Parts: sequence; C-alpha cells; structure tokens
Amino acid sequence: MKTIHIFIGFLVVALVQIFVPAQMIWEQEGVLESGTVYKFKTRPVDPTDPFRGKYITLQYEISSFTVADTSYVHGDEIKVYLENDDHGFAKVVKVSKELLDIKNDYVIAKVTGNYKEVVYFKLPFDRFYMEETKAYDAEQAYRKMNSDTLRDNVHALVYVKDGQSVLKDVIIEGIPIQEYVEK
Amino acid sequence: MSSKFNKELQTLVRDKVISPELADKIEQYYATKDVGKPNRLFAIFGVFGALLVGAGIILMLAHNWDDFSRATKTILAFVPLLIGQLIAGYAILKEKSNAWKEASGTFLFFAVGACIALISQIYNIPGELGSYLLTWIVLCLPLIYLLRSHAVTLLIIILSTYYAVEVGLWNYRSRQTPWLYFVFLLGVIPYYWMLLKRNVSSNAVTIFNWILPGSIAIALSAFVGRDGTLGFIMYITLFGLLYNIGRLLIFKELRTLRNGYLIIGSLGTVICLLIFTFKWVWDELPGTSDYGSQSWYIALILFVIAIAMVGFKIWKNGIKAINLFQVAFIGFWVVYFAFSDIGVLPVVLMNMLVLTLGISAIKIGADKFNFGILNYGLLIISVLIACRFFDTAMSFVIRGILFVLVGAGFFVTNYIMLKRQQKIKKQLKDLQV
Repeated sequence: MKTIHIFIGFLVVALVQIFVPAQMIWEQEGVLESGTVYKFKTRPVDPTDPFRGKYITLQYEISSFTVADTSYVHGDEIKVYLENDDHGFAKVVKVSKELLDIKNDYVIAKVTGNYKEVVYFKLPFDRFYMEETKAYDAEQAYRKMNSDTLRDNVHALVYVKDGQSVLKDVIIEGIPIQEYVEK
Repeated sequence: MSSKFNKELQTLVRDKVISPELADKIEQYYATKDVGKPNRLFAIFGVFGALLVGAGIILMLAHNWDDFSRATKTILAFVPLLIGQLIAGYAILKEKSNAWKEASGTFLFFAVGACIALISQIYNIPGELGSYLLTWIVLCLPLIYLLRSHAVTLLIIILSTYYAVEVGLWNYRSRQTPWLYFVFLLGVIPYYWMLLKRNVSSNAVTIFNWILPGSIAIALSAFVGRDGTLGFIMYITLFGLLYNIGRLLIFKELRTLRNGYLIIGSLGTVICLLIFTFKWVWDELPGTSDYGSQSWYIALILFVIAIAMVGFKIWKNGIKAINLFQVAFIGFWVVYFAFSDIGVLPVVLMNMLVLTLGISAIKIGADKFNFGILNYGLLIISVLIACRFFDTAMSFVIRGILFVLVGAGFFVTNYIMLKRQQKIKKQLKDLQV
C-alpha cells in the first residue's frame, strides 16, 4: 500500500476520533441549551473511576412506579415520563416501553426489578464528576444533612430534551455542591 | 557494535581459531549491517516516554478541575488529541522510522482516551466503565494497521481484556456477555499473523505469543455464566486448544520459552485436571448442568475447534505426532460425560490421566534431552502424589516411602540423562578428532 493511501486512511480515523467526542459535546450542549430543567431529589455517595476520576453516585428518590405489568424485567429500557409537583420537584407521570403520544418530557431509565406491581428503575444521570479533593467532602456534607430535617434541600438539576438528559449540577441548600463543600 | 563482541573476536584470533583477516572481515560485515538499522532502544524509550506522558495526561485530567470553565475544559480535552494526531500524521506522511510511529501511536492512543474521558466528566455523561472502554478501543483499533505499531496492538489487547472482564465479571449490577471482545481479537489477529509470517522468532512475536493466550485465558472468565462446572469444562478445553495452537507447524522452530501457547496450555491443563483428581470435587458436582446455556455452547465450540486441530495433525503427520497433552482435554470430556456418575471411577481415571501426563512429559524430556520438560513431568507426578496425601487415609510410613521414591526419581532420571548427554558429547568430540 502506498504511503498516501495509509495517510488518507489515517486522516479518516483522525476525523472520526475528533468527531465522536465532538458529537458527544454537541448532543449534551443541545440538551443544556433547549431542554427543560427538572429538580430530582437525591442522595450522593462517592466512588472512583480509574480513568475519569472521582465522581459521586446519585441515588434518586424517584426509583419506582406502580404499574400492574409483569412484562417489565431487569435490564429493560423504559421511558419515564415526568412533570413537576407542587414543590417544583420532578415526579413520574407514567412509565412505558414505547413512545407515548403525550406532551410530557421523558428520560430513559433501566428497569432494576418488578415486584408486587411496582416497577423499580435506575435513572441514567447517576454520575456527577467532582474534583478529587471535593468528592469525599461532598459525601460527608450530604451525610450531615441527612441527619437533620434539611433532607429535602439536596437535589440534582437535570436538563431533559427528547429523551436525552444532562445532569448540570447538584444543589445543596440552594448552592452548587462544589461551592457548598468549599464553605 | 558491542565491545563484548569485539573482545570475543580478539580472543578467537589470539587462540588461532580464525585468522586476523577473517576477524576484520567479520567486523566490517557487522559494522555495515548495523548502519541502516534504526536504534531499537530508541523505539523502546520512545514508547515508554509516550506511555508515561499519555497516562500522566489522563491522570491529570481525572482530577476534574472545577476552576476551569466548560469551554476551557473542552479545549484542554482536544489539545493532546490534536497534538497526537499531528505527530502520527507527520510520521506516516514523511515515512518516519518505526520509533516515530510507535511513540506517536502510543501517545495518540492515550490522548483519545483522555479526550473522551474529559468530555464524559464535563457533561456528567452516564455510562459504566465498560461503555467508555468500548468507545476508546473502537476509536484506536485502526491505528494498529495505519501505524503498524506493536505498542498500540499491545495496548488494544490489554484494553480489550480489561473491557471483557469489566463487562462480564466485575460489573455486578448488570453483567453482560462481552461478545465484542471476540471482534476486537479478530481485529488484532491479522496484524499478529503478518508478524508471524515475517519472523516467527522475533521478540515482538514472542510478546504476542504470551499476551494473546494470556488475554484469552483471562477473558474467558467473563463468558462463564453462573454454572461454575461448565466453566471448568470451558477452561480445560481452552487450554487444550491453546496447547494445540502451540504445537502448530509455524511454531516448530520456536524455543519453548518463546511459545506462550504451549506453556499456558500445558500448565492450565495440568492444574485443571489436578483439581479433578480430588474426590470431593466430583461429589460436589451438580447432577445436571444446563446444556442450553451460553457457557455450554462456548465449551462446545472450543471443543470442536480443538478436535479439528488434533484431527488435522493426525491426518497430516500420523497418530505418532500427537502427544498426550494435546488430547488430555478429550480424556476429560469422556470421563466427565460418560463416567461421572459411577462411584469413584472418575476420580481413579483422572488420577491415571494426570499420572500418564507426567510420565509422558518425562519421556518427551528424555527423548529431546530437555531437562526442563523432564523435570516438569517429575513435578506433575510429585504434585499429584502430594495432593493424594490430603484425601487418602494412607499410613504415614507409606506416604513417607512414596516421597522418598519420587525424590530418588528426580535424582536418578536427571543423573542418567546427564550421563547420556555427556556420552554423546564425548562421541561427537571423538568423531571430530
């Protein structure tokens, strides 16, 4: 094979290597720009990913929905339709395997169990990456909060658009978690 | 040229083995031979440098700098990637030496990983480690062929193994079978084959001869389902297959230590079979295995390939070309599926199989004058006997006598072989004189 052919092949691969991360950015920016923002009540804990560093795992209060359907099994992808409750927090309207013809926004979740007419699921935006020195403090801060009555004051800010969701921030007592731990 | 070699030449001249003219000629030959050859050390250090810098960038980015804005972080993500691409592109276009290509490929490999890692951090993109590794591997696999880089190939194999184990074994929340591992392996094999064809005894081939069977043996654990027994069958069959690959004609000229297939296959077979020489292992076996499961089909496919290789060898070179290690897995299949319910029979048969393997290794070692293989055979028998000490009620006297006998066996066989070797050497010397 000639050098020029290899070089052209390399150019294609190089473009793909740029295109894939760029595409990731494009999608996320699209959601942040024109998506609807929801607040999800959450509790954070802190694990590590070997390549991407420290993050906190978020466990959401929204994790189940009562529906008498045994066809939902572990690992299924479902659409969770949302609306805001009276306090401004997200709540589930409906879950479905197919796209429904309703106006509400939806996010895609994974079924983790189906027990006594309740479907349990995991919301996709469960990782929030933090500076490595702050992740542990963030978890501690949350632990402290959990002991008093301020529990309702931790929530995740999530932008939703066409089933895509981007976790923008985690808020404790009205301020972003990074700033909260610095206090 | 190394000074050691020069000194050796001078000694030869002094001892009148070769003439001074010949020594000069030899010196000149090697001097001109080395001229066009790029420095191998340079390539190795280049790769190590790129490896460290690349890994360092990933680690630094994993800090998740809060103080930078989203835009700054995004630019930071693309800077190493673009630098890596520029250098690699330049190396291809200007037809630079291998050292360039290896080093730039290694750097680019890590730059791609760092870039997608940082993007996931910035936008908190969900997804397990497995999906991240998958994207990384797919984006870098073509570099193997474009840069013809051993280092990138090695990194891809290691990352694929990591991917398989991460997705199929470690991820307790949602285990999946990492079928894509096979696709990645198929992506690497043509490159490996090219190297094999070029020079089977090169150091690069030796590394792949070890890393490929090692990777496959580790990754297979990700394909074992919940049925552990079938896992054993899968592994014994895989080791049989690896051993048979190691005995392929293409590896014939290779020294044993350079043949990872042979050694991993042989050791794996012996260890698995040794486990099944214990009676309690057979007692604990579940009555029936799930013969519709994925583990079963994988075991069956491995078995068919291994049998085909044995069959081909017999058809080509006759039954005598086969040694017992190549067919030990068939013995296990027969015992497991035909006799596993019949009292102690499977245990007795397994013990006999391992004993015969040991004896056949001793025989191969003696025939080839290879002390390594000879003692390997003796070692198999000793371990077998040691294992029997745990689950038989022999008296201490008999156990003691057995140990003394095996120990004496080590001395005697090695001594006889040493004598025979010396005798042959002496005969050769006499012939020369």
